[in-house]
Amino acid sequence: MTHFGTKFRGSRRDFFSRLGDGVHGAALAWLLQKDLPGSPGPGQGRPRIDLTPLAPHREPKAKSVIHLFMNGGPSQVDLFDHKPTLARMAGGAAPRDLLNQIENMDQVGTLMPSYWEFSRHGKCGMELSELLPHTATIVDDITLVRSMYSEHFNHEPAINLFHTGRTITGRPTMGAWVTYALGTENQNLPGYVVLEDKNLPVNGIQNWQAGWLPPTYQGTRFREKDPAVLNLNPRERLPNPLIEAERSLLRSLDHSHRMERPWQPDLSARISSYELAARMQLAASDALDLSQESEATKEMYGLNNEATASYGRRCLLARRLVERGVRFVQIFIEYQIWDNHHSLKEKLEYCCRKTDQPSAALVRDLKQRGLLDDTLVVWGGEFGRMPISQVRDGGAAGRDHGPDGFSLWMAGGGVKAGYVHGATDDIGHKAAVDRVSVHDFHATFLHLLGLNHRDLVFRRHGLEERLTDQYPARLVHEILA
Amino acid sequence: MVRNLWLTPLACLILGPAFPASRSDDSDFERDILPIFERTCLQCHSGASPQGELHLDRLESMLAGGKSGPALVPGASDRSLLVSKLVSGAMPPGDVNLSREEIGAIRLWIDGQSAHAAGVAYTEKDVLPIFQMHCVNCHGKAKQEAGLDLRTRAARLRGGESGPAIVPGDPGRSLLYSRIISQEMPPLDEIRPPTTAEVEVLRQWILAGARDDPPGTEAVTDRSLAPEDREFWSFRSPRPPALPRVLHPEQARNPIDLFLLSRLESKGLGFSPEAEPLVLLRRAYLDLTGMPPTSREVLDYLEDREPGAYERLLDRLLDSPAYGERWAQYWLDLAGYSDSEGIVDEDKVRPHAWRYRDYVIRALNGDTPYDRFLTEQLAGDELVDYRNQERVTRELVDVLAATGFLRLTPDGTYNQPNRSLQDKMDIIADELQVLGSSVLGLTIGCARCHDHKYDPLSQREYYSLAAILQTALDPYDWRPPTERVLRVALEADLKEIEAHNAPLQVKLRNLEKELEDKARPYKEKFRKEALAALPPNLQADLRTIAETPKGKGSSLQRFLARKFKEVVEPTYAALGDEFPEFKESASQLQTDIEHIKNSKYGSETNFRDKTKYRTLPGIRALYDMGGDPSPAYRLNRGEARSVAERVYPGVPRVLSGNGLEPYRPLPPPGRDTSGNRLGLARWLTQEGHPLTSRVQVNRIWGHHFGRELVTTPGDFGRTGSQPSHPRLLDWLAAEFEDRGWSMKAMHRLIMTSAAYRQTSRVGPGASQQDPDNLLFSRMPLRRLDAEAIHDSVLRVTGRLDPTLFGIPVHLKEESSGEVVPESTPGGWRRAVYVLKRRRMPVSSLEAFDYPVMIPNCGQRRQSNVPLQALQLVNGELMRGHARYLAGRLMDQSPGDMPGQIEGLYLEVLGRYPTSGESRRIEKSLQRLEREWRSHLERKNDPAPRGPGARWSALSSVALTLLNSAEFMYID
Repeated sequence: MTHFGTKFRGSRRDFFSRLGDGVHGAALAWLLQKDLPGSPGPGQGRPRIDLTPLAPHREPKAKSVIHLFMNGGPSQVDLFDHKPTLARMAGGAAPRDLLNQIENMDQVGTLMPSYWEFSRHGKCGMELSELLPHTATIVDDITLVRSMYSEHFNHEPAINLFHTGRTITGRPTMGAWVTYALGTENQNLPGYVVLEDKNLPVNGIQNWQAGWLPPTYQGTRFREKDPAVLNLNPRERLPNPLIEAERSLLRSLDHSHRMERPWQPDLSARISSYELAARMQLAASDALDLSQESEATKEMYGLNNEATASYGRRCLLARRLVERGVRFVQIFIEYQIWDNHHSLKEKLEYCCRKTDQPSAALVRDLKQRGLLDDTLVVWGGEFGRMPISQVRDGGAAGRDHGPDGFSLWMAGGGVKAGYVHGATDDIGHKAAVDRVSVHDFHATFLHLLGLNHRDLVFRRHGLEERLTDQYPARLVHEILA
Repeated sequence: MVRNLWLTPLACLILGPAFPASRSDDSDFERDILPIFERTCLQCHSGASPQGELHLDRLESMLAGGKSGPALVPGASDRSLLVSKLVSGAMPPGDVNLSREEIGAIRLWIDGQSAHAAGVAYTEKDVLPIFQMHCVNCHGKAKQEAGLDLRTRAARLRGGESGPAIVPGDPGRSLLYSRIISQEMPPLDEIRPPTTAEVEVLRQWILAGARDDPPGTEAVTDRSLAPEDREFWSFRSPRPPALPRVLHPEQARNPIDLFLLSRLESKGLGFSPEAEPLVLLRRAYLDLTGMPPTSREVLDYLEDREPGAYERLLDRLLDSPAYGERWAQYWLDLAGYSDSEGIVDEDKVRPHAWRYRDYVIRALNGDTPYDRFLTEQLAGDELVDYRNQERVTRELVDVLAATGFLRLTPDGTYNQPNRSLQDKMDIIADELQVLGSSVLGLTIGCARCHDHKYDPLSQREYYSLAAILQTALDPYDWRPPTERVLRVALEADLKEIEAHNAPLQVKLRNLEKELEDKARPYKEKFRKEALAALPPNLQADLRTIAETPKGKGSSLQRFLARKFKEVVEPTYAALGDEFPEFKESASQLQTDIEHIKNSKYGSETNFRDKTKYRTLPGIRALYDMGGDPSPAYRLNRGEARSVAERVYPGVPRVLSGNGLEPYRPLPPPGRDTSGNRLGLARWLTQEGHPLTSRVQVNRIWGHHFGRELVTTPGDFGRTGSQPSHPRLLDWLAAEFEDRGWSMKAMHRLIMTSAAYRQTSRVGPGASQQDPDNLLFSRMPLRRLDAEAIHDSVLRVTGRLDPTLFGIPVHLKEESSGEVVPESTPGGWRRAVYVLKRRRMPVSSLEAFDYPVMIPNCGQRRQSNVPLQALQLVNGELMRGHARYLAGRLMDQSPGDMPGQIEGLYLEVLGRYPTSGESRRIEKSLQRLEREWRSHLERKNDPAPRGPGARWSALSSVALTLLNSAEFMYID
């Protein structure tokens, strides 16, 4: 077991974590989140099972994370990675090693340049495609990594890899690891919140599971549609005095039951669990109440525009949650909109219309509020796309999955501002210079949170399990501020 | 410049492996590389017993490699283990560091090595993975397209219709090589081509004579077994110990108690007093059936004042079908039971898995002896000659369905992109994980990539175990799950489905014909236009092909047909894109066809819908494929691409010999089946097997007492926990075998002990001396698990549909987003019958820690999070059930408030309320009634205010009792 040392000292987030009835939930939470029976055997130590905030291995740069997960695989050569060579080689045959990575062998096309113009932006002069006019306004706050690569060319394994460090299913996700390591600062809200879109992403709820970490650390879904949290209230809204009458009867029955059974901490924990549920009803309802935001803010996130409203609302919610001390917020995108196997032109434009403005607004808003310094924002998918075209049944061209090279950006939380790291080869197929594996990313991401990826371990079957598993993982020093 | 040196090898990689071989030789190594190694590596990796059995002082020894396989791949630094260890910082350990320049130099040197110059003579195992991944699907065991089989040297030299596949020493004249180079093979529309590096390995292998590795010629060293390995407690046969003497034998009811008492007495403790009869009644019901007694059963039990009432109760419960439903779930957890394939996002529903679930329930209810239970599940197909049966009986179906045990892990291979060799290997690894954690109690999966770090299990032994399964689960001769179905069915089942399908088949045929008729003119037009765009000589060929029936014609014709399949046989979708008018006129027909075909599930599971096709009944079985099995290999680091030596079916040496029967296949005479798994079952269930009986009695104990004697029930190895009562465990294990492996006998034995009958109240002595109840000085207080909550709520509120067996209950997603089981005309069925989809768990079960089966679950966790409270208090179904119960109570005792309260207590809590409780509930009822009345008035509800408010108030109380700790916990 890792020892995380002394407690985090409260901060601006204290205000929110003390909402409710004034109780700091830590002590209660310890009882509540207890993993009951099945205590581990000698020599194994009892794994941590609560959400109390803990200090990381060293002073962290980032205290919270907002992960904008662009599931489906955004096309790097059309968004972030300008490849003039591709235009010169347009129509050329694909190299054999590229074909070895193709998912749909019957739809292989030829080298295809981007439809879109690229230009330089900001003081740093970062080159971006015209599809990202809003991201272009925050380039001086972000680090763009152009040399990411994955290990698998299918969504399911590649998404597993990005979230859990292995292509197989069943392991804990980044968010679960982080809440396991650091707990969370607001005990009236979950430590790891997932803001899902209209429908589940590929891999479904596995995307935020705790794997073999205690279930306490799995992500809590806030749904896109109402109700955001399942069963936060009964379907028929009941008046408070009525709810209180039910609650007080339960309290009194359970109290008597417990009094007759001394030395049963489980019963006390359970009673507190019902109280916490009641407080969570308040805290979550407060966090979800966007009417507290100004018109200007809503406008900035694009809430008044149909294309941006849904994703914008979730970006804004992410800020409100982080502000209230939630450790890890993850946003997923409706089904697989970035998975542009065909009709790239039309579909990629749709994706950018939906996500460009709110993503940029989030970074700007966090910055304005002084939250960007200790909030890490990550934007990216599970892989990229191929520089060749994919043609299905003679339809409009798209691009097939491209695991060997893709782009990802980060902002705040201790990464450089206005910086580009790495490069792909001439055609944008493979990460070539300063390659960054998913494990390198994980190591770096944990580092920003003050955690050593080698030391953040969970003992299981006598082995020390890690987010980076046994893989080589290199801390990408170059992108640290 | 520092940077350049680092970049150069990368640049080379981008440009491909065509790199001049002359760039480096031995002198480079000695001059540039050896000094680096001397400083950083050789301290550990040289001499007589180097770390990881890896020498780094000479090129040859690096190529030979260590325990993790070769340290480098000539010409490919990015695939070399050495480099990845250095780059990651995994090596060297401690304070020794390599600079970037040094690593760069090493990479440069590796990239400069060509296999030839490095003196590597590639042998069969270097090229096998290439054949296995890209060729043997069509040129292997199952199919020999164009007469070609690429699995053995002789067959390769013999070749197929077009001549020898390989001419040793001459890649240019080897058809295998030239077809790959010309990209004729593998067919690119189906199979990914090998990489440039792989093609190069192939070329060099042919050049060097296309050598094979005859079996047994390799020098293989396996880790040696130390005498103390065999001495570890769980690897020795359990020996029934003498019964201990105790100070207070009057406290004991059976020998279990003596073992526990002797430990308790040494701490100055004894058993806690016996629990009250109603507490014992509720405990026994929940333990054996997963549900509390009904009010009727409570009253009957109170009536029975004859001696032996408790023992008779146990007999009744063990005889009830609810016993099998409850205990089946524990086993289904171990097997990783799921009604869907997982892996692919579609999460395809398994149409036939439920027959395995029914098998388990039936076997438990029939008290099938555990040795037989295991044998049926591991080798049911080898037990019976199912191919030559005159009549299909229930027993035959069951014994085949039993083999579903090793068919339940996630399997995405029905989907082409998820059918790589590695995917198949992963499935087999999952099945071994199931076998290891459930039956063997060993973490054998740890030995997949390297020798087990703690237990005496070598990687070689892991692959020997896998080889036992290979005659059924052969990664080189794979069947996707959709094809791995035995069509053995009861006459009655068949008739029923045929009757269902007959009218639909006629309808389907007509619709398909209508569609084809509609499409024909468009197809011809399409072909004509497409052909016109092709060279004239091709046109004639393709026209011939279009007229030849599918799968006929020469190999060239079939090759062309594949290449130009869009031209020869355009799909309806392609026609639709080309001819909008066709698309429009065909769309309704296509929709109708899809509807009948029901291909999304294509299953037995939509049986209620008369307009949809039902596939024939099938059994998701594991069965021997017959014939010669493909050879099995150890895989370096568990990677399909890295074949090491050949292995043969076998079991870990530490569990063989030394008084134990060794493993051997037991082929039944006169049948084409290897007997591999029958041998495995016999070996496992032999008298005195150190693990089989211990592992199972430990689990049974755990489910009764809330804690196992070995608290890591899936790990009896060195990293597992030691048994808290080793002699008791051994006594139970011996007893289990003596009692004919009867599980019901073990329940009876355990539940009639004084230990089990203790109260759960903690006395002051026990709280001091045994705070964690490690000595079993009382019964633990236990919370109901996910299924027990689901089933108990249904039962006590009168909403349970007790139908047994059959097709799973379907799920629906409520507008609230909650996933709930569909109701039946009789209410709701028990959780064990609800469809278990990996990607769509039932919300209420998920909230209470129903596991995602990846691949199985050896031990449930129990979390306590506020979302559970929210669900039980606010959930729509919960409120509905409470309302139903309140309504029935008002029907029973109209206008009689005390009667209703008494009824509520009897139904929900299985006891009468005390007078204090009655008063408290009455007061609450009045308050709730006031609140409900004003709520109904405010929302202008049409219900009559008085009775409406009373019903709602009683529902609130019912809901509260269902939420109470008394209901949720077992005393």
